[in-house]
Amino acid sequence: MTAMARSFSRLTLGGKILFTLGPILFLLTIGLVLLIAIAGKPIVDFLATNIWLVRFVVAATAVLLMSVPTAFLIIYMEMKIIALMNLRIGPDRVGPFGSLMSVIHGLKVLAKEDFSPTGADRLVFTLAPVAVFMSTIMALLVLPFAPGLFGADMNIGLLYLFAVSGLSVVGLLMAGWSSFNKYSLLGGLRSAAQVISYEIPLILSVVGLLLLAGTMSLNQIVVKQGGWFWNWYVFQQPLGALIFFIAATAEANRTPFDLTEADSEIVAGFATEYSGMRFGFFFFAEYVNVFVVSGLIVTLFFGGWNAPFPWPWPITLNIDPGSLGLGLLFAILIVPPLLILALAAPFYLGRSSMPWWQALIIGFVLFNLLVIVAITGWAFVSWNWVAGLMVFLGKSYLFVFTFVWMRGTLPRVRIDQLMGFAWKWLLPASLLNLFVTALALVVVNK
Amino acid sequence: MTNIWYIVGFLIAGISFVFLTIGASWLITHRNRGDVHKGLPYESGIDTYGDTHGRFGLSFYIYALLFVAFDIEVIFIYLWAIIFRADGVDIGALFLAMFAFVGVLLLGLAYAWRKGVLAWR
Repeated sequence: MTAMARSFSRLTLGGKILFTLGPILFLLTIGLVLLIAIAGKPIVDFLATNIWLVRFVVAATAVLLMSVPTAFLIIYMEMKIIALMNLRIGPDRVGPFGSLMSVIHGLKVLAKEDFSPTGADRLVFTLAPVAVFMSTIMALLVLPFAPGLFGADMNIGLLYLFAVSGLSVVGLLMAGWSSFNKYSLLGGLRSAAQVISYEIPLILSVVGLLLLAGTMSLNQIVVKQGGWFWNWYVFQQPLGALIFFIAATAEANRTPFDLTEADSEIVAGFATEYSGMRFGFFFFAEYVNVFVVSGLIVTLFFGGWNAPFPWPWPITLNIDPGSLGLGLLFAILIVPPLLILALAAPFYLGRSSMPWWQALIIGFVLFNLLVIVAITGWAFVSWNWVAGLMVFLGKSYLFVFTFVWMRGTLPRVRIDQLMGFAWKWLLPASLLNLFVTALALVVVNK
Repeated sequence: MTNIWYIVGFLIAGISFVFLTIGASWLITHRNRGDVHKGLPYESGIDTYGDTHGRFGLSFYIYALLFVAFDIEVIFIYLWAIIFRADGVDIGALFLAMFAFVGVLLLGLAYAWRKGVLAWR
Protein backbone atom coordinates (compact mmCIF):
# COMPACT_ATOMS: atom_id res chain seq x y z
CA MET A 1 0.00 0.00 0.00
CA THR A 2 2.76 2.42 0.92
CA ALA A 3 4.64 1.53 -2.25
CA MET A 4 1.52 2.25 -4.28
CA ALA A 5 0.96 5.57 -2.51
CA ARG A 6 4.59 6.53 -3.05
CA SER A 7 4.57 5.72 -6.74
CA PHE A 8 1.27 7.58 -7.09
CA SER A 9 2.73 10.66 -5.50
CA ARG A 10 5.59 10.58 -8.06
CA LEU A 11 3.18 10.93 -11.00
CA THR A 12 2.85 14.30 -12.71
CA LEU A 13 -0.36 16.28 -12.34
CA GLY A 14 -1.76 15.06 -15.67
CA GLY A 15 -0.88 11.48 -14.74
CA LYS A 16 -2.67 11.79 -11.41
CA ILE A 17 -5.80 13.18 -13.05
CA LEU A 18 -5.85 10.48 -15.74
CA PHE A 19 -5.01 7.71 -13.29
CA THR A 20 -7.96 8.56 -11.03
CA LEU A 21 -10.41 9.76 -13.65
CA GLY A 22 -9.95 6.73 -15.93
CA PRO A 23 -11.30 4.00 -13.59
CA ILE A 24 -14.13 6.28 -12.37
CA LEU A 25 -15.29 6.97 -15.93
CA PHE A 26 -14.95 3.25 -16.82
CA LEU A 27 -17.09 2.17 -13.84
CA LEU A 28 -19.65 4.92 -14.53
CA THR A 29 -20.01 3.79 -18.16
CA ILE A 30 -20.52 0.14 -17.12
CA GLY A 31 -23.09 1.22 -14.53
CA LEU A 32 -24.96 3.37 -17.02
CA VAL A 33 -25.08 0.59 -19.62
CA LEU A 34 -26.34 -1.88 -17.00
CA LEU A 35 -28.97 0.62 -15.80
CA ILE A 36 -30.25 1.20 -19.33
CA ALA A 37 -30.30 -2.51 -20.10
CA ILE A 38 -32.25 -3.41 -16.96
CA ALA A 39 -34.59 -0.44 -16.41
CA GLY A 40 -34.45 1.56 -19.65
CA LYS A 41 -38.11 1.49 -20.67
CA PRO A 42 -39.76 2.59 -17.39
CA ILE A 43 -37.19 5.37 -16.92
CA VAL A 44 -37.81 6.79 -20.39
CA ASP A 45 -41.59 6.57 -19.84
CA PHE A 46 -41.29 8.37 -16.50
CA LEU A 47 -39.13 11.12 -17.98
CA ALA A 48 -41.47 11.55 -20.94
CA THR A 49 -44.43 12.16 -18.61
CA ASN A 50 -42.40 14.50 -16.35
CA ILE A 51 -40.65 16.61 -18.99
CA TRP A 52 -40.13 19.51 -16.52
CA LEU A 53 -37.71 17.25 -14.60
CA VAL A 54 -35.52 16.77 -17.69
CA ARG A 55 -35.67 20.50 -18.41
CA PHE A 56 -34.66 21.34 -14.84
CA VAL A 57 -31.77 18.88 -14.72
CA VAL A 58 -30.41 20.26 -18.01
CA ALA A 59 -30.80 23.85 -16.76
CA ALA A 60 -29.11 23.15 -13.41
CA THR A 61 -26.19 21.33 -15.08
CA ALA A 62 -25.79 24.07 -17.67
CA VAL A 63 -25.75 26.81 -15.03
CA LEU A 64 -23.24 24.94 -12.85
CA LEU A 65 -20.94 24.18 -15.77
CA MET A 66 -21.31 27.71 -17.16
CA SER A 67 -19.98 29.18 -13.93
CA VAL A 68 -16.53 27.60 -14.46
CA PRO A 69 -15.58 29.32 -17.77
CA THR A 70 -17.23 32.52 -16.50
CA ALA A 71 -14.91 32.60 -13.50
CA PHE A 72 -11.87 31.79 -15.68
CA LEU A 73 -12.75 34.54 -18.13
CA ILE A 74 -13.25 37.16 -15.40
CA ILE A 75 -9.97 36.20 -13.68
CA TYR A 76 -8.16 36.52 -17.01
CA MET A 77 -9.87 39.88 -17.67
CA GLU A 78 -8.77 41.08 -14.27
CA MET A 79 -5.14 40.04 -14.78
CA LYS A 80 -4.83 41.36 -18.32
CA ILE A 81 -6.87 44.57 -18.12
CA ILE A 82 -5.31 45.74 -14.85
CA ALA A 83 -1.88 44.90 -16.29
CA LEU A 84 -2.59 47.02 -19.35
CA MET A 85 -3.87 49.85 -17.14
CA ASN A 86 -0.64 49.67 -15.10
CA LEU A 87 1.42 49.70 -18.34
CA ARG A 88 2.58 46.13 -17.69
CA ILE A 89 2.29 43.23 -20.13
CA GLY A 90 0.42 40.83 -17.87
CA PRO A 91 0.03 37.11 -18.63
CA ASP A 92 1.40 36.26 -22.08
CA ARG A 93 2.84 32.73 -21.90
CA VAL A 94 -0.03 30.23 -21.91
CA GLY A 95 -2.42 30.29 -24.84
CA PRO A 96 -3.06 33.23 -27.17
CA PHE A 97 -2.31 36.48 -25.25
CA GLY A 98 -2.01 34.42 -22.06
CA SER A 99 -5.72 33.65 -22.08
CA LEU A 100 -5.27 30.14 -20.61
CA MET A 101 -3.35 31.45 -17.60
CA SER A 102 -6.45 31.43 -15.38
CA VAL A 103 -7.18 27.80 -16.36
CA ILE A 104 -3.64 26.90 -15.27
CA HIS A 105 -4.27 28.77 -12.02
CA GLY A 106 -7.43 26.71 -11.52
CA LEU A 107 -5.58 23.42 -12.12
CA LYS A 108 -2.81 24.51 -9.77
CA VAL A 109 -5.29 25.25 -6.97
CA LEU A 110 -6.91 21.85 -7.61
CA ALA A 111 -3.55 20.10 -7.11
CA LYS A 112 -2.48 22.01 -3.99
CA GLU A 113 -2.47 20.47 -0.55
CA ASP A 114 -5.76 21.09 1.25
CA PHE A 115 -4.68 21.78 4.79
CA SER A 116 -6.57 22.74 7.94
CA PRO A 117 -4.73 24.23 10.94
CA THR A 118 -4.51 22.38 14.27
CA GLY A 119 -6.99 24.43 16.28
CA ALA A 120 -9.59 24.67 13.51
CA ASP A 121 -13.12 23.35 13.78
CA ARG A 122 -12.79 20.88 10.89
CA LEU A 123 -16.49 20.52 10.02
CA VAL A 124 -17.29 24.25 10.00
CA PHE A 125 -13.96 24.92 8.28
CA THR A 126 -14.94 22.61 5.41
CA LEU A 127 -18.54 23.81 5.15
CA ALA A 128 -17.74 27.55 5.06
CA PRO A 129 -16.58 27.71 1.40
CA VAL A 130 -19.55 25.53 0.46
CA ALA A 131 -21.94 28.04 2.07
CA VAL A 132 -20.28 31.01 0.37
CA PHE A 133 -20.19 29.28 -3.01
CA MET A 134 -23.79 28.07 -2.80
CA SER A 135 -25.14 31.48 -1.85
CA THR A 136 -23.54 32.83 -5.02
CA ILE A 137 -24.46 30.05 -7.39
CA MET A 138 -28.11 29.85 -6.23
CA ALA A 139 -28.67 33.34 -7.65
CA LEU A 140 -27.98 32.02 -11.16
CA LEU A 141 -31.15 29.89 -10.90
CA VAL A 142 -33.49 32.86 -11.45
CA LEU A 143 -31.32 35.07 -13.67
CA PRO A 144 -33.00 35.30 -17.10
CA PHE A 145 -30.27 34.84 -19.73
CA ALA A 146 -32.53 35.01 -22.78
CA PRO A 147 -36.21 34.60 -23.68
CA GLY A 148 -37.07 31.10 -22.45
CA LEU A 149 -33.53 30.48 -21.13
CA PHE A 150 -33.61 30.55 -17.33
CA GLY A 151 -33.45 28.03 -14.49
CA ALA A 152 -36.86 28.77 -12.98
CA ASP A 153 -39.25 31.68 -13.44
CA MET A 154 -40.35 32.36 -9.86
CA ASN A 155 -42.95 34.96 -8.94
CA ILE A 156 -40.83 35.82 -5.87
CA GLY A 157 -37.64 35.93 -7.96
CA LEU A 158 -36.12 39.13 -6.59
CA LEU A 159 -36.92 38.32 -2.96
CA TYR A 160 -35.44 34.82 -3.41
CA LEU A 161 -32.31 36.33 -4.93
CA PHE A 162 -31.71 38.75 -2.04
CA ALA A 163 -32.51 36.06 0.52
CA VAL A 164 -30.04 33.63 -1.01
CA SER A 165 -27.24 36.12 -1.54
CA GLY A 166 -27.70 37.35 2.03
CA LEU A 167 -26.71 33.87 3.23
CA SER A 168 -23.11 34.49 2.22
CA VAL A 169 -22.70 36.35 5.55
CA VAL A 170 -23.15 33.03 7.33
CA GLY A 171 -20.38 31.46 5.26
CA LEU A 172 -18.01 34.37 5.90
CA LEU A 173 -18.65 34.22 9.65
CA MET A 174 -18.18 30.42 9.63
CA ALA A 175 -14.85 30.80 7.85
CA GLY A 176 -13.67 33.53 10.19
CA TRP A 177 -14.67 31.75 13.36
CA SER A 178 -13.51 28.23 12.52
CA SER A 179 -10.00 29.16 11.32
CA PHE A 180 -8.70 29.73 14.87
CA ASN A 181 -6.79 32.79 13.76
CA LYS A 182 -7.25 36.34 15.02
CA TYR A 183 -6.92 37.86 11.57
CA SER A 184 -9.54 35.48 10.23
CA LEU A 185 -11.98 36.27 13.02
CA LEU A 186 -11.47 39.99 12.54
CA GLY A 187 -11.80 39.68 8.77
CA GLY A 188 -14.93 37.55 9.04
CA LEU A 189 -16.61 40.00 11.44
CA ARG A 190 -15.59 42.95 9.29
CA SER A 191 -16.96 41.41 6.13
CA ALA A 192 -20.18 40.43 7.93
CA ALA A 193 -20.63 44.02 9.15
CA GLN A 194 -19.93 45.35 5.66
CA VAL A 195 -22.19 42.92 3.81
CA ILE A 196 -25.18 43.37 6.13
CA SER A 197 -24.81 47.16 6.10
CA TYR A 198 -24.84 47.36 2.31
CA GLU A 199 -27.62 44.79 2.03
CA ILE A 200 -30.20 47.34 3.29
CA PRO A 201 -29.59 50.02 0.60
CA LEU A 202 -29.21 47.25 -2.00
CA ILE A 203 -32.66 45.86 -1.24
CA LEU A 204 -34.36 49.23 -0.70
CA SER A 205 -33.05 50.75 -3.93
CA VAL A 206 -35.06 48.21 -5.95
CA VAL A 207 -38.41 49.05 -4.32
CA GLY A 208 -38.96 52.02 -6.64
CA LEU A 209 -38.49 49.67 -9.57
CA LEU A 210 -40.94 47.19 -8.02
CA LEU A 211 -43.53 49.96 -7.74
CA LEU A 212 -43.17 50.61 -11.47
CA ALA A 213 -43.03 46.96 -12.53
CA GLY A 214 -45.61 45.57 -10.08
CA THR A 215 -43.95 42.13 -10.06
CA MET A 216 -40.94 40.43 -8.47
CA SER A 217 -40.42 37.91 -11.29
CA LEU A 218 -37.15 38.82 -13.02
CA ASN A 219 -38.45 37.48 -16.30
CA GLN A 220 -41.50 39.78 -16.18
CA ILE A 221 -39.32 42.74 -15.23
CA VAL A 222 -37.21 42.18 -18.34
CA VAL A 223 -40.29 41.76 -20.56
CA LYS A 224 -41.64 45.11 -19.31
CA GLN A 225 -38.45 46.85 -20.49
CA GLY A 226 -38.87 45.73 -24.12
CA GLY A 227 -38.84 48.05 -27.11
CA TRP A 228 -36.64 51.13 -27.40
CA PHE A 229 -33.90 51.75 -24.86
CA TRP A 230 -35.73 54.58 -23.08
CA ASN A 231 -38.04 51.93 -21.63
CA TRP A 232 -35.14 50.67 -19.49
CA TYR A 233 -35.71 51.36 -15.83
CA VAL A 234 -32.40 53.18 -15.48
CA PHE A 235 -34.02 56.21 -17.12
CA GLN A 236 -36.97 56.15 -14.69
CA GLN A 237 -34.89 55.20 -11.64
CA PRO A 238 -31.47 56.85 -12.07
CA LEU A 239 -30.92 57.30 -8.33
CA GLY A 240 -32.04 53.72 -7.62
CA ALA A 241 -29.65 52.40 -10.28
CA LEU A 242 -26.75 54.37 -8.83
CA ILE A 243 -27.42 53.18 -5.27
CA PHE A 244 -27.84 49.62 -6.50
CA PHE A 245 -24.52 49.77 -8.35
CA ILE A 246 -22.61 51.10 -5.33
CA ALA A 247 -24.23 48.68 -2.88
CA ALA A 248 -23.70 45.76 -5.28
CA THR A 249 -20.00 46.62 -5.50
CA ALA A 250 -19.80 46.42 -1.72
CA GLU A 251 -21.83 43.19 -1.67
CA ALA A 252 -19.44 41.56 -4.13
CA ASN A 253 -16.46 42.75 -1.99
CA ARG A 254 -14.89 44.58 -4.91
CA THR A 255 -12.58 47.57 -4.82
CA PRO A 256 -13.10 50.27 -3.47
CA PHE A 257 -15.00 48.24 -0.84
CA ASP A 258 -12.70 45.19 -0.60
CA LEU A 259 -12.16 45.54 3.14
CA THR A 260 -12.80 41.81 3.62
CA GLU A 261 -9.53 40.74 2.05
CA ALA A 262 -7.57 43.92 2.66
CA ASP A 263 -4.20 42.20 2.45
CA SER A 264 -2.26 45.20 3.76
CA GLU A 265 -4.31 45.27 6.99
CA ILE A 266 -5.48 41.79 8.02
CA VAL A 267 -3.36 39.41 5.86
CA ALA A 268 -6.20 37.92 3.78
CA GLY A 269 -9.17 38.32 6.10
CA PHE A 270 -11.37 35.27 6.53
CA ALA A 271 -9.40 33.31 3.92
CA THR A 272 -6.03 33.48 5.72
CA GLU A 273 -5.91 29.84 6.85
CA TYR A 274 -7.43 28.35 3.70
CA SER A 275 -5.46 26.49 1.06
CA GLY A 276 -6.07 24.22 -1.89
CA MET A 277 -9.54 23.71 -3.31
CA ARG A 278 -11.38 25.13 -0.30
CA PHE A 279 -9.53 28.40 -0.87
CA GLY A 280 -10.28 28.00 -4.56
CA PHE A 281 -14.00 27.92 -3.91
CA PHE A 282 -13.90 31.25 -2.07
CA PHE A 283 -12.37 32.90 -5.10
CA PHE A 284 -14.48 30.95 -7.56
CA ALA A 285 -17.49 32.32 -5.65
CA GLU A 286 -16.09 35.85 -5.69
CA TYR A 287 -15.66 35.91 -9.46
CA VAL A 288 -19.00 34.23 -10.16
CA ASN A 289 -20.49 36.85 -7.85
CA VAL A 290 -19.05 39.61 -10.03
CA PHE A 291 -20.89 38.09 -12.98
CA VAL A 292 -24.12 37.62 -10.98
CA VAL A 293 -24.05 41.23 -9.80
CA SER A 294 -23.38 42.52 -13.32
CA GLY A 295 -26.15 40.33 -14.72
CA LEU A 296 -28.51 41.57 -12.01
CA ILE A 297 -27.77 45.23 -12.77
CA VAL A 298 -28.37 44.53 -16.45
CA THR A 299 -31.57 42.59 -15.75
CA LEU A 300 -33.10 45.16 -13.43
CA PHE A 301 -31.99 48.49 -14.87
CA PHE A 302 -30.57 47.96 -18.36
CA GLY A 303 -33.21 45.90 -20.11
CA GLY A 304 -31.82 42.39 -19.63
CA TRP A 305 -31.81 40.52 -22.92
CA ASN A 306 -33.61 43.34 -24.77
CA ALA A 307 -31.57 45.04 -27.47
CA PRO A 308 -31.55 48.86 -27.27
CA PHE A 309 -33.95 49.02 -30.22
CA PRO A 310 -36.86 46.80 -31.29
CA TRP A 311 -35.04 44.03 -33.12
CA PRO A 312 -37.16 42.16 -35.69
CA TRP A 313 -36.75 38.74 -34.04
CA PRO A 314 -36.80 36.08 -35.31
CA ILE A 315 -36.00 36.32 -39.01
CA THR A 316 -36.62 33.11 -40.91
CA LEU A 317 -34.23 32.45 -43.75
CA ASN A 318 -35.79 30.37 -46.50
CA ILE A 319 -32.87 28.20 -47.55
CA ASP A 320 -33.60 24.70 -48.81
CA PRO A 321 -30.27 22.92 -49.32
CA GLY A 322 -32.01 19.91 -50.88
CA SER A 323 -33.14 21.91 -53.92
CA LEU A 324 -29.56 22.31 -55.08
CA GLY A 325 -29.20 18.55 -55.60
CA LEU A 326 -25.74 17.38 -56.68
CA GLY A 327 -24.56 21.00 -56.86
CA LEU A 328 -24.52 21.06 -53.05
CA LEU A 329 -21.93 18.27 -52.99
CA PHE A 330 -19.71 20.14 -55.45
CA ALA A 331 -20.12 23.35 -53.46
CA ILE A 332 -19.00 21.61 -50.27
CA LEU A 333 -16.02 20.09 -52.11
CA ILE A 334 -14.90 23.19 -54.02
CA VAL A 335 -15.85 26.30 -52.01
CA PRO A 336 -13.72 25.71 -48.85
CA PRO A 337 -10.39 25.07 -50.65
CA LEU A 338 -11.01 28.01 -52.96
CA LEU A 339 -11.82 30.28 -50.00
CA ILE A 340 -8.71 29.10 -48.16
CA LEU A 341 -6.55 29.83 -51.22
CA ALA A 342 -8.23 33.21 -51.68
CA LEU A 343 -7.60 34.12 -48.04
CA ALA A 344 -4.00 32.87 -48.15
CA ALA A 345 -3.09 34.66 -51.40
CA PRO A 346 -2.71 38.20 -50.02
CA PHE A 347 -0.34 37.02 -47.29
CA TYR A 348 1.80 35.00 -49.74
CA LEU A 349 1.94 37.73 -52.36
CA GLY A 350 2.18 40.68 -50.01
CA ARG A 351 5.03 39.40 -47.82
CA SER A 352 7.80 37.85 -49.86
CA SER A 353 9.58 36.34 -46.84
CA MET A 354 6.62 34.09 -45.92
CA PRO A 355 6.82 30.43 -47.06
CA TRP A 356 3.72 29.08 -48.86
CA TRP A 357 2.73 26.67 -46.07
CA GLN A 358 2.58 29.42 -43.46
CA ALA A 359 0.29 31.41 -45.74
CA LEU A 360 -1.89 28.31 -46.17
CA ILE A 361 -2.14 27.82 -42.39
CA ILE A 362 -3.13 31.46 -41.94
CA GLY A 363 -5.71 31.06 -44.71
CA PHE A 364 -7.12 27.94 -43.05
CA VAL A 365 -7.45 29.68 -39.67
CA LEU A 366 -9.09 32.72 -41.27
CA PHE A 367 -11.50 30.44 -43.15
CA ASN A 368 -12.51 28.73 -39.92
CA LEU A 369 -13.05 32.08 -38.22
CA LEU A 370 -15.20 33.13 -41.18
CA VAL A 371 -17.31 29.98 -40.89
CA ILE A 372 -17.74 30.49 -37.12
CA VAL A 373 -18.81 34.11 -37.68
CA ALA A 374 -21.25 33.02 -40.42
CA ILE A 375 -22.82 30.28 -38.28
CA THR A 376 -23.08 32.62 -35.27
CA GLY A 377 -24.67 35.31 -37.38
CA TRP A 378 -27.14 32.84 -38.84
CA ALA A 379 -28.08 31.63 -35.33
CA PHE A 380 -28.29 35.25 -34.17
CA VAL A 381 -30.98 36.17 -36.64
CA SER A 382 -32.79 32.81 -36.65
CA TRP A 383 -33.42 32.18 -32.94
CA ASN A 384 -34.28 35.00 -30.61
CA TRP A 385 -32.75 33.21 -27.60
CA VAL A 386 -29.32 33.22 -29.23
CA ALA A 387 -29.58 36.93 -29.90
CA GLY A 388 -30.99 37.55 -26.42
CA LEU A 389 -28.15 35.58 -24.82
CA MET A 390 -25.56 37.53 -26.78
CA VAL A 391 -27.13 40.89 -25.87
CA PHE A 392 -27.34 39.86 -22.20
CA LEU A 393 -23.76 38.58 -22.04
CA GLY A 394 -22.50 41.65 -23.91
CA LYS A 395 -24.14 44.04 -21.45
CA SER A 396 -23.07 41.93 -18.46
CA TYR A 397 -19.44 41.84 -19.50
CA LEU A 398 -19.55 45.60 -19.98
CA PHE A 399 -20.36 45.82 -16.27
CA VAL A 400 -17.75 43.18 -15.41
CA PHE A 401 -15.26 45.39 -17.26
CA THR A 402 -16.45 48.35 -15.18
CA PHE A 403 -15.77 46.41 -11.97
CA VAL A 404 -12.28 45.48 -13.20
CA TRP A 405 -11.69 49.07 -14.26
CA MET A 406 -12.64 50.27 -10.78
CA ARG A 407 -10.20 47.78 -9.27
CA GLY A 408 -7.45 49.11 -11.48
CA THR A 409 -8.22 52.74 -10.65
CA LEU A 410 -9.72 53.39 -7.23
CA PRO A 411 -8.01 53.15 -3.83
CA ARG A 412 -9.60 51.29 -0.92
CA VAL A 413 -11.84 53.27 1.45
CA ARG A 414 -11.34 53.35 5.22
CA ILE A 415 -13.67 51.17 7.30
CA ASP A 416 -15.32 54.06 9.19
CA GLN A 417 -15.97 55.82 5.86
CA LEU A 418 -17.36 52.56 4.49
CA MET A 419 -19.88 51.99 7.28
CA GLY A 420 -20.82 55.66 7.56
CA PHE A 421 -21.49 55.87 3.84
CA ALA A 422 -23.92 52.93 3.96
CA TRP A 423 -25.99 54.13 6.91
CA LYS A 424 -25.78 57.92 6.58
CA TRP A 425 -25.95 58.41 2.82
CA LEU A 426 -27.13 55.36 0.91
CA LEU A 427 -29.99 54.37 3.24
CA PRO A 428 -31.67 57.83 3.35
CA ALA A 429 -31.07 58.22 -0.39
CA SER A 430 -32.77 54.90 -1.18
CA LEU A 431 -35.75 55.81 1.05
CA LEU A 432 -35.96 59.17 -0.72
CA ASN A 433 -35.96 57.36 -4.06
CA LEU A 434 -38.78 55.10 -2.84
CA PHE A 435 -40.93 58.01 -1.68
CA VAL A 436 -40.40 60.15 -4.75
CA THR A 437 -41.40 57.20 -6.95
CA ALA A 438 -44.46 56.37 -4.83
CA LEU A 439 -45.53 60.05 -4.74
CA ALA A 440 -45.17 60.34 -8.51
CA LEU A 441 -47.32 57.24 -8.98
CA VAL A 442 -49.98 58.60 -6.59
CA VAL A 443 -50.04 61.93 -8.47
CA VAL A 444 -50.27 60.19 -11.82
CA ASN A 445 -53.08 57.88 -10.68
CA LYS A 446 -55.19 60.55 -8.96
CA MET B 1 -45.12 24.36 -5.21
CA THR B 2 -42.68 23.20 -7.88
CA ASN B 3 -40.58 26.32 -7.22
CA ILE B 4 -39.63 24.91 -3.81
CA TRP B 5 -38.44 21.72 -5.47
CA TYR B 6 -36.47 23.69 -8.03
CA ILE B 7 -34.61 25.39 -5.17
CA VAL B 8 -34.05 22.12 -3.27
CA GLY B 9 -32.91 20.33 -6.42
CA PHE B 10 -30.52 23.11 -7.35
CA LEU B 11 -29.15 23.16 -3.80
CA ILE B 12 -28.44 19.43 -3.96
CA ALA B 13 -26.85 19.76 -7.41
CA GLY B 14 -24.64 22.64 -6.30
CA ILE B 15 -23.49 21.01 -3.07
CA SER B 16 -22.66 17.76 -4.88
CA PHE B 17 -20.70 19.82 -7.45
CA VAL B 18 -18.64 21.39 -4.67
CA PHE B 19 -17.97 18.13 -2.87
CA LEU B 20 -17.14 16.27 -6.10
CA THR B 21 -14.53 18.94 -6.89
CA ILE B 22 -13.10 18.88 -3.37
CA GLY B 23 -13.06 15.06 -3.52
CA ALA B 24 -11.28 15.08 -6.89
CA SER B 25 -8.77 17.51 -5.42
CA TRP B 26 -8.31 15.25 -2.40
CA LEU B 27 -7.53 12.32 -4.74
CA ILE B 28 -4.73 14.07 -6.63
CA THR B 29 -3.11 16.21 -3.93
CA HIS B 30 0.05 15.52 -2.06
CA ARG B 31 -0.37 15.50 1.72
CA ASN B 32 2.03 15.30 4.62
CA ARG B 33 1.61 16.06 8.26
CA GLY B 34 4.71 18.17 8.78
CA ASP B 35 5.86 19.27 12.22
CA VAL B 36 4.05 21.24 14.88
CA HIS B 37 4.67 24.57 13.18
CA LYS B 38 2.71 23.59 10.11
CA GLY B 39 -0.53 23.49 12.06
CA LEU B 40 -0.07 26.86 13.73
CA PRO B 41 -2.35 29.70 12.57
CA TYR B 42 -0.56 32.28 10.45
CA GLU B 43 -0.36 35.46 12.48
CA SER B 44 2.42 37.29 10.66
CA GLY B 45 5.05 34.72 11.51
CA ILE B 46 5.02 34.72 15.32
CA ASP B 47 3.55 31.98 17.48
CA THR B 48 -0.03 32.66 18.50
CA TYR B 49 -0.75 33.83 22.05
CA GLY B 50 -3.84 34.78 24.01
CA ASP B 51 -7.42 33.71 23.44
CA THR B 52 -8.37 33.61 19.75
CA HIS B 53 -12.12 33.43 20.31
CA GLY B 54 -11.92 36.24 22.84
CA ARG B 55 -13.63 39.61 23.00
CA PHE B 56 -14.31 41.82 20.04
CA GLY B 57 -15.99 45.18 19.48
CA LEU B 58 -19.62 45.66 20.47
CA SER B 59 -20.24 47.79 17.35
CA PHE B 60 -20.56 44.62 15.24
CA TYR B 61 -23.50 43.55 17.40
CA ILE B 62 -25.23 46.94 17.12
CA TYR B 63 -24.91 46.89 13.33
CA ALA B 64 -26.46 43.41 13.34
CA LEU B 65 -29.39 44.70 15.42
CA LEU B 66 -29.96 47.62 13.03
CA PHE B 67 -29.74 45.19 10.11
CA VAL B 68 -32.44 42.93 11.56
CA ALA B 69 -34.79 45.89 12.13
CA PHE B 70 -34.41 47.17 8.56
CA ASP B 71 -34.42 43.73 6.95
CA ILE B 72 -37.80 42.87 8.45
CA GLU B 73 -39.08 46.28 7.38
CA VAL B 74 -37.97 45.47 3.83
CA ILE B 75 -40.19 42.38 3.67
CA PHE B 76 -43.25 44.55 4.46
CA ILE B 77 -42.16 47.17 1.93
CA TYR B 78 -41.80 44.55 -0.80
CA LEU B 79 -45.32 43.23 -0.30
CA TRP B 80 -46.59 46.81 -0.19
CA ALA B 81 -44.77 47.62 -3.45
CA ILE B 82 -46.30 44.63 -5.23
CA ILE B 83 -49.92 45.51 -4.37
CA PHE B 84 -49.40 49.26 -4.88
CA ARG B 85 -50.75 49.33 -8.42
CA ALA B 86 -53.19 46.40 -8.11
CA ASP B 87 -56.86 46.95 -8.96
CA GLY B 88 -59.26 48.21 -6.29
CA VAL B 89 -56.78 49.61 -3.76
CA ASP B 90 -56.92 53.13 -2.34
CA ILE B 91 -53.50 54.28 -3.49
CA GLY B 92 -53.42 57.41 -1.34
CA ALA B 93 -54.20 55.55 1.90
CA LEU B 94 -51.57 52.94 1.01
CA PHE B 95 -48.98 55.66 0.48
CA LEU B 96 -49.79 57.34 3.82
CA ALA B 97 -49.67 54.01 5.67
CA MET B 98 -46.17 53.26 4.40
CA PHE B 99 -45.12 56.87 5.07
CA ALA B 100 -46.08 56.43 8.74
CA PHE B 101 -44.45 52.99 8.97
CA VAL B 102 -41.11 54.07 7.51
CA GLY B 103 -41.32 57.32 9.50
CA VAL B 104 -41.30 55.40 12.78
CA LEU B 105 -38.28 53.38 11.60
CA LEU B 106 -36.49 56.54 10.50
CA LEU B 107 -37.06 57.98 13.98
CA GLY B 108 -35.24 54.91 15.30
CA LEU B 109 -32.40 55.45 12.85
CA ALA B 110 -32.20 59.13 13.83
CA TYR B 111 -31.99 58.10 17.49
CA ALA B 112 -29.17 55.67 16.75
CA TRP B 113 -27.41 58.34 14.69
CA ARG B 114 -27.77 60.89 17.51
CA LYS B 115 -26.39 58.39 20.02
CA GLY B 116 -23.30 58.01 17.85
CA VAL B 117 -23.85 54.32 17.10
CA LEU B 118 -23.25 54.76 13.38
CA ALA B 119 -19.74 56.14 13.91
CA TRP B 120 -17.23 53.30 13.68
CA ARG B 121 -15.14 52.90 16.84
